[in-house]
Amino acid sequence: MNWKIFRRPAANPAQRRSVGFLARFMVLLVVFYLIVASRPVNDYVIVPFTTGIAAASGVVLRAIGEPAIVAGTEIRSGTFGVNIENGCNGVETALLLAAAVLAFPAGWRQRLFGFLLGFAAIQVVNLIRVVSLVWIGRHRPALFDSSHTVIWQSAVVLFGVLLFLLWASRQTRRPVPTPEEKAGR
Amino acid sequence: MLDRGAAIRLIVGFVLALAFWFLFSTIYEGAVAPAAEFLIRLGESPAVTRLEAPGKEFLLRRSDIPPGAKQPGLPSADLHFNFVLLAALFALHPKPWRTDRVVKLILAMLCLYAVHVVFLVFEVESLYATRFAEWSMAHYGTVARNFWAGGFHFYQIAGRFAAPFAIWWLFGRDTPAEAPQTAAVRPKRRKRKN
Repeated sequence: MNWKIFRRPAANPAQRRSVGFLARFMVLLVVFYLIVASRPVNDYVIVPFTTGIAAASGVVLRAIGEPAIVAGTEIRSGTFGVNIENGCNGVETALLLAAAVLAFPAGWRQRLFGFLLGFAAIQVVNLIRVVSLVWIGRHRPALFDSSHTVIWQSAVVLFGVLLFLLWASRQTRRPVPTPEEKAGR
Repeated sequence: MLDRGAAIRLIVGFVLALAFWFLFSTIYEGAVAPAAEFLIRLGESPAVTRLEAPGKEFLLRRSDIPPGAKQPGLPSADLHFNFVLLAALFALHPKPWRTDRVVKLILAMLCLYAVHVVFLVFEVESLYATRFAEWSMAHYGTVARNFWAGGFHFYQIAGRFAAPFAIWWLFGRDTPAEAPQTAAVRPKRRKRKN
């Protein structure tokens, strides 16, 4: 019997790299999740960071004429109030970006630059999200649930994924050294 | 890959996927609930859990809870709105309507369906393990409580956003992003003339 017919054709290098990237991405994502979900990191990093987002959102809301009052991670505007929790602070998209950027083969400087720039961009979009959600919650409360859960969450994560794809596609190709270069000539 | 056309396709895909999701999410929940119920009942003796999907939430009905008692409901949109992300990512392709692309999208959607079923199981078990005070303590050990609650929390924080990206990466990309070290072409060596 010819057993060769049961053998799968070997994956090409591009496929292997692709699957390798995905494996590294998943492992890093779990590691980052465990770090962020741990109580000390949550209490001393995530909560103060989220408080900062609430404060910045309050400033923007007041600048556009909304009577926003901020207390910790809670924002009140008129009769409407929201509490910014994990999942609404942009950290989840940043985790995704960090795992993808680290899993992708690139130089450390490029990775750091890509992550920091991406993190800042995600936070700007997230600020727009929080401000718009408070505005919607106050002026169009019927639209709040779908805007909060589906539209804005998807948009912010999609933005993070696009940032990664843009960064990955712009990576400069590092030439493989020729034997002469290896020999130090 | 990420030119102006891709941006337009992405936005159009996002809007179409949103419309599709709003229209058919209740029907979809009707397909997720029985599969999750089947998996949950595999681990129960006697099998008492029933999951219903009337729309916007999964209703948890246990046959051992007295009739008239309050039955918990689990919000459903949080579980499966990531379909919109998956569909939007597939729309990045220059010709997303091509037959092979549609087949890949269907395969990807089946994978995402499996993810939704598994994490609905996690959500229900997490509820059983942590929300019923003494009953939870009596039926779930520390490891089991952490496993189910941690698994569902992972999905809420990272998994539900990572799943569409990972599935799209496997099924949806046409040209894999090249690794810089391996993408470079070695210069050809010239033959020495004697």
